Amino acid sequence: MFQSNRIKEILGLNRRNQEYIRPFNPPSAKKIADNKILTKKVLATEGINTPSVYKLVKNKKQLQFLDWESLPKSFVIKPNQGTGGNGIIVFYGKKKGQNSWIRPNGTVMNQKDIALHIENILEGRFSMGNRSDIAIIEERVRTDPLLKQYSYKGVPDIRIICFNGVPIMAMTRLPTKRSNGTANLHSGAICTGLDISTGITTYSMQMNPRTIFSDTYESIESTTDLKENKKLSGIQIPNWNDILTIALKCQRASKLGYVGVDIALDIEKGPVVFELNARPGLGIQVANQAGLRWRLEKVKGLEIKNIKHGIRVAQNLFGGEIEESIEAISGRKVVSITEKVVLFHKGYDSKSKKNSMLKETTTAFMDTGILTSRITKNLISRMGYLDTVKYFDSLNIPKKFESLQSAQKFIDENLSLFQDTDIKRLAKIIDNGEICVRPVLEIKIKISGDIKDVDMVITEETEHSVVIGRGELKGYLIDTSKTFRKI
Amino acid sequence: MDYSPLTLWILENGVSEQTLDLFVTITILATIVSIARYIFGSKTYGIYAPIILAIAYSYTGFRYGLAITFVVIATTLLSYSILKKIRMHYITRIAINYCLLSISLVIFFLLIGKYSLGLDNMSQIPSLAVISIAALSDFFIKQFVQKSFKTAVMVLFSTLVVASIGWYVISRDVVTAYTINNLWLVPLFIAINLGIGQFKGLRVKDLFRFNSILKEKDNVSK
Repeated sequence: MFQSNRIKEILGLNRRNQEYIRPFNPPSAKKIADNKILTKKVLATEGINTPSVYKLVKNKKQLQFLDWESLPKSFVIKPNQGTGGNGIIVFYGKKKGQNSWIRPNGTVMNQKDIALHIENILEGRFSMGNRSDIAIIEERVRTDPLLKQYSYKGVPDIRIICFNGVPIMAMTRLPTKRSNGTANLHSGAICTGLDISTGITTYSMQMNPRTIFSDTYESIESTTDLKENKKLSGIQIPNWNDILTIALKCQRASKLGYVGVDIALDIEKGPVVFELNARPGLGIQVANQAGLRWRLEKVKGLEIKNIKHGIRVAQNLFGGEIEESIEAISGRKVVSITEKVVLFHKGYDSKSKKNSMLKETTTAFMDTGILTSRITKNLISRMGYLDTVKYFDSLNIPKKFESLQSAQKFIDENLSLFQDTDIKRLAKIIDNGEICVRPVLEIKIKISGDIKDVDMVITEETEHSVVIGRGELKGYLIDTSKTFRKI
Repeated sequence: MDYSPLTLWILENGVSEQTLDLFVTITILATIVSIARYIFGSKTYGIYAPIILAIAYSYTGFRYGLAITFVVIATTLLSYSILKKIRMHYITRIAINYCLLSISLVIFFLLIGKYSLGLDNMSQIPSLAVISIAALSDFFIKQFVQKSFKTAVMVLFSTLVVASIGWYVISRDVVTAYTINNLWLVPLFIAINLGIGQFKGLRVKDLFRFNSILKEKDNVSK
């Protein structure tokens, strides 16, 4: 059944139009997005790459005098004010000695065929409101090999939704045989969610060809119809922060409050902006298996100082899809190198009303270099074990031992001293290069949603009051990026 | 029929009963289309096509209307698939399509006249209603050319469903008679549309579209 809280996270068409497009996309800004030539001009002011224009055909007279010989082997024809990819024709090669060009599906169009298509563009057949239009003949993007290996013939792209100066959600659209080499989801292109924090692919979905009256998607694990089909999750989009920066620059230049930016990765130019979309579709939610609405609401009204700030906000608020995806695939949870944990004090009773008094949240350091977890003397004392600490200190145990054997011997000989205390056992540890013996207590602790009883060695004060050792880290993957990332 | 004072006053001051009936019908149909669009997510060929189709069906009769619709769409598909092989301008292609449509409808009427095919004589069918249904061809071909065959068929189906519901509602005498006699319903329809215009919730179609997100997941915690 549907979960009501999840319904609240989803952005539907009604809300998108009323709460985001109408208030945040003024007509002057929409005019830029709806006009590809204007978009190119505006983006040029921000130094953003767009496909180079070879020719503009504004009327039939210009078409009549078009210098066909000067056209390169491969190019793209598109209507200036086209919508949804309609009217776009890609040519991959030219027939030798003829003014005929080859399309991705192998069909050939001669000069007259192309001229007729351009005439249709000029008549407004593919344009919004069927208004007369301009035909753009522009450079064909040569896809970066990384994404090319996942696509069938066409040009894969990255769609990033930006709102209020923050990148909200992203996906890649990978052309397939079913989509005829286009990145159109309705035609059967694969959409793959991207973790906004890292630019790593997460879930992949493809429109179900069997459903007719509703756009329903089905999960897909790997590419289809390629010579060598590849797994779609875990692909790292290169220069992710640069791509996010470009998307936000596009938003700034166009003044669209809510915008979808389509970016392709060119083998030579790097990220190239295809187009801006003032009414971006909602299929991106399916690709990411997450709702847009709660994300948009989180950033609504935030004061974003600059592009870097916007990216940081997105990464802090919405990063982590990749963790969920990894958890789903590997069955392991992902924890940061420093992770918030909850410590339950001595005498904690889950049924007691005083629960909140008997637990505290602190940051623990994940250290696979040690076996048993550690906790500092001060913290454990605060948790109700002050008497235990005092008792241990009163025993005048040697502060250091000559060897591990002598430490073990001491432990074996003094087991009876701790029989009726909270001390579970004694452990020999190496602390600051010295061998010493410390008490071990069993502490209830919550790590990444799991509550467990953990053996913890009491230590002197250190940088981290709680250190989780590898004994407790079985079943977890440690993500170090959150600690060391710098924007 | 006993009319309310307001209705009577309108009828006595230059508005014919048929015209008033038509105007009231349009308000009902427009509201049905807007409910279908924003509550159910049913995409139609604009608001005009389903309204005109529903009214046309009320003149032709539902069975006859559907039969004419079928002939119109079949002819359009056939003519488009033949004509797309010939290099020509878009409008000329549409013009030829309309010529072929006229011929096929006449042939269809002749066939019905001669062989019945489960329908009675078509000569009583108002020609304006037939032309209104034929206009569907233009809407269909635009979707077909600009989007895809699948999209055009999907939108056609939605349009026909909404038009059929509209036809069913307006062909109930009790509905139109009540509305004509209670013209305060017209502002009520405006209010309903204002309400729908403010509706921000998910459309029924969205629930199916985002089914995979909305479903409870066993293996992934949010």
